[in-house]
Amino acid sequence: MNGIHDMGGMQCMGPIIREENEPRFHEEWEGRVFGMFFTNFAEGHFNVDMFRHAIERMGPAEYLETSYYEHWLHVYETVLVERGILTQAEIDEKIASLRQAGES
Amino acid sequence: MPTLTPDMVPGLVAGGASCRMDVDVAPKFKVGDAVTARDINPLSHTRLPRYIRGRTGRIARDHGVFAFPDTSAASGTHSDPQHVYSVRFEGSELWGDHANANACVYIDLFDNYLELA
Amino acid sequence: MAHDHAHNAPPSETAMRVKALETLLTEKGLLDPAAIDALVETYETKIGPRNGAKVVARAWTDPDYKARLLEDGSAAIAELGFSGVQGEDMIVVENTDEVHNMVVCTLCSCYPWPTLGLPPIWFKSAPYRARSVIDPRGVLAEFGVELSDDVEIRVWDSNAELRYLVLPQRPAGTDELSEDELAALVTRDSMIGTALAEAPAG
Repeated sequence: MNGIHDMGGMQCMGPIIREENEPRFHEEWEGRVFGMFFTNFAEGHFNVDMFRHAIERMGPAEYLETSYYEHWLHVYETVLVERGILTQAEIDEKIASLRQAGES
Repeated sequence: MPTLTPDMVPGLVAGGASCRMDVDVAPKFKVGDAVTARDINPLSHTRLPRYIRGRTGRIARDHGVFAFPDTSAASGTHSDPQHVYSVRFEGSELWGDHANANACVYIDLFDNYLELA
Repeated sequence: MAHDHAHNAPPSETAMRVKALETLLTEKGLLDPAAIDALVETYETKIGPRNGAKVVARAWTDPDYKARLLEDGSAAIAELGFSGVQGEDMIVVENTDEVHNMVVCTLCSCYPWPTLGLPPIWFKSAPYRARSVIDPRGVLAEFGVELSDDVEIRVWDSNAELRYLVLPQRPAGTDELSEDELAALVTRDSMIGTALAEAPAG
């Protein structure tokens, strides 16, 4: 698809920002998201091509404003629901209950 | 029970999951052929970038037979095996007068993306 | 206490979404959190650019190995034990006085994990992916690498399932160095092609 991900040759994206001594994961959740690629792949929930296509289907503004591992998280939230492994309601409820537990 | 358990991790990481397919498929092109990338615009998954479509390059290397991602993304399994080639595109072919001096792009392209120039 | 606040800050919305998914999949028996622990530990401690540096140093010191590496990258890298996920099919491209190679993935951020580890943020960033193919000399200059127009720049857009490792040029004045000392000069960026191998100290 002719999406925002297809960036070769685009201009005016700004400077390339580098980080000295960059850690493998900047936040703990990034490591969990990374690992979930393997567990979901092993369960047969997607192959690498479906995975990439799910990232390509993100809205262009969201794609540009979110990080690499947020793209991966988007895949799981999209594909697992599309495949009927989770429902959106389940996910929303779990987030709400985790938030409640955190606040109490 | 989860499929992936901790004891399997070292083997999975070290073994990987190659998309190479051990099937006998004849190549459509050979090293040295001038090829033009097709102008395709599917709404589905493809690994043929826009900046390459319609451009002419030369086959530099035949990598052998791999699953075709455009098909595998829909089928969920390794599908439609075909040859992948490293194709060299000169900077001027891609970017005209704006190209850097003495620069080129090598990109890996599947049989289905190409036709003889 | 202000100092403690950052450490005890509530988890971000993103962290919450991740936790929710991991919890749900665990409850359904589709995920073992210990497997994720093992994966994170593996990629934090075992897999990184020191692996690729060993490949390069071996190629610099062993002409037969270098010949095998350029002929069949996957097999030669496997000899040193650095095969696996996102490095199943490897191509090694050699920098010379005439040719400089650099690697990008314009469509996502494909990267040779077994030899270089997980990609740095800049490799995954829009400006790098966008500009590398149209203005590689500008990108190299931003990284502090200025090459004369006599040197051909080859940009490898690794958008299929082949993964690329650049074999940088061996720096001058390193004839006496051991393989381990040579490996210390091989930076991650020199194997992506956005840097040259470092000169020896002193």
